[in-house]
Amino acid sequence: MKAARLLAIIFLGVVAISAVIPHVWTPEEYGTQLRDHADAPPSRRFPLGTDPLGRDRLARLLYGTRISLLLAPAAALLSCVAAALIGGIAGFTGGWTERIVLATVDLFLSLPWLLLLLMVRACLPLNVSPLASMAITFLMLGLLGWPASARVVRAAVTRFRAADFILQARAAGCTQWRLISRQLVPNVMPVLLAQFWTSVPLFILAEATLGMLGLGVSEPLPSWGGILREIESGDVLSQPWIAAPVLLLAAVIGSFQLISPREDYSV
Amino acid sequence: MKTLGIQLVRMAILVLLAALGSAILVRYSPGALVDERELDQRMSTETLAALRNQRAIDNGLGSGLFRYLQKAIDGDLGKSQSYNVPITKLLRENAPATLRRVGIGLGSAWLFGLSLAIPVAYFRSAWMLDAGTALLTSTLLSLPAGVLAYLCLTIGAPVEIVLLLVLTPRVFRFSRNVLVQAYGSTHIDMARARGIDELRILFAHVFPSAAPQLLALAATSLSMAVGAIIPIEAICDAAGLGRLAWQAAIARDLPLLLNLTMLIALATTAAMAFTEVVTGHPAENTR
Repeated sequence: MKAARLLAIIFLGVVAISAVIPHVWTPEEYGTQLRDHADAPPSRRFPLGTDPLGRDRLARLLYGTRISLLLAPAAALLSCVAAALIGGIAGFTGGWTERIVLATVDLFLSLPWLLLLLMVRACLPLNVSPLASMAITFLMLGLLGWPASARVVRAAVTRFRAADFILQARAAGCTQWRLISRQLVPNVMPVLLAQFWTSVPLFILAEATLGMLGLGVSEPLPSWGGILREIESGDVLSQPWIAAPVLLLAAVIGSFQLISPREDYSV
Repeated sequence: MKTLGIQLVRMAILVLLAALGSAILVRYSPGALVDERELDQRMSTETLAALRNQRAIDNGLGSGLFRYLQKAIDGDLGKSQSYNVPITKLLRENAPATLRRVGIGLGSAWLFGLSLAIPVAYFRSAWMLDAGTALLTSTLLSLPAGVLAYLCLTIGAPVEIVLLLVLTPRVFRFSRNVLVQAYGSTHIDMARARGIDELRILFAHVFPSAAPQLLALAATSLSMAVGAIIPIEAICDAAGLGRLAWQAAIARDLPLLLNLTMLIALATTAAMAFTEVVTGHPAENTR
């Protein structure tokens, strides 16, 4: 298991470096349209061929990877911060605040996440610039992804609230702020970290699904969702190289699953 | 009876909150107050004023929601903006196909998931079996439902197979852990020591102790199935509520989307409330 984790970390490192410096693999830009090379099969110049607009598929894949690998963790961070604040306040204060937060969490969790994302996305303008669509997509993931983590954080904080060391700190005259910053936060941090690593692959998959449905990052900006959408218009059986993004996505998500802290799946 | 009452009240509050949340989103979404008819230059000042008055009444959050709920009780869910037909008609036409798919997909996912989880939990020392199933389920979990739908579409597999591929790894992972826990109890060791056969141990001891958690998972898997059916029906172009939700999102048909959200919220909260009444165990959503 340790070897598999190490391999996963190395693989993710290689993918991240390739995404940061894509020129190592291809000199082309993701948006350059080479009309003389439209729909070209893989070659030395275009290792994954080109799309119907003559854009290098490898360049688009690498730039798309950069966007997904940079913004999915950013969205996960945002959702973890929200979860820490909301779940932390609920767990620490208890009473009505806790009940209201739990009811809100229940409300969010009773709806399938994708439907919630569709609902919110549909309420926002669809004809926006590619950069705005990218910001909307990942902000939406970050702002709607907190409830499951908030529930976990609340449970952890409730447990710690009744712990002996908190009682001792209170008895020693520890102020509320010091209690939170010095006692509670360091103990809740591993829980938050686990939630962060669990959220990253979830957000990557959610972006991919939204992109496939045409509600994610819009063209010409590449993202995994948008790139996966392109395979719908191709034929995987006669052009198997167009499935390369699927393999990369599966490998990246699989690697994230390997390096994530092991979850307790019991419900 | 008291638990049932509490659950019904809780369900009603959750659905009302879902309606209110959706109504707020619809009311304050960009372009919600724009009426294209105002661009018609033939409209007189009085007609325009009447239109604005009507819109102000329609868009009032509290009154609008109250009127919507009042009409919904009578079976009138309003009109779809993109299809220009009553929403009730659209739901009636599309719901049976989705219900059938979700039913078949969920049923077969549970059959396959449990059939895989039982031997894995029973032969805990068989690491090859455990690793093999973990690899298979991890691979399936690493792919978005849309990609699985596309791959199945390419080879001509039915939509239900996609749902099966999406749900089986989730059902397997949860039920495997629950069954491993159940098999690890001391009373199972005691039963084995007394020479009770394995089939009897499974049905009389393992399943009953794992039942509350498995039932909780059953309720949650409905929410998972509904979430998965949207990209599947959209990619496979199969008529149903999932495709309807996607088309409503693309066309920004917010009234239709609001009703679909309400309907799905009602179904999933009912499933979770039912589980909590039956087991007295909260149905945790695990996403």
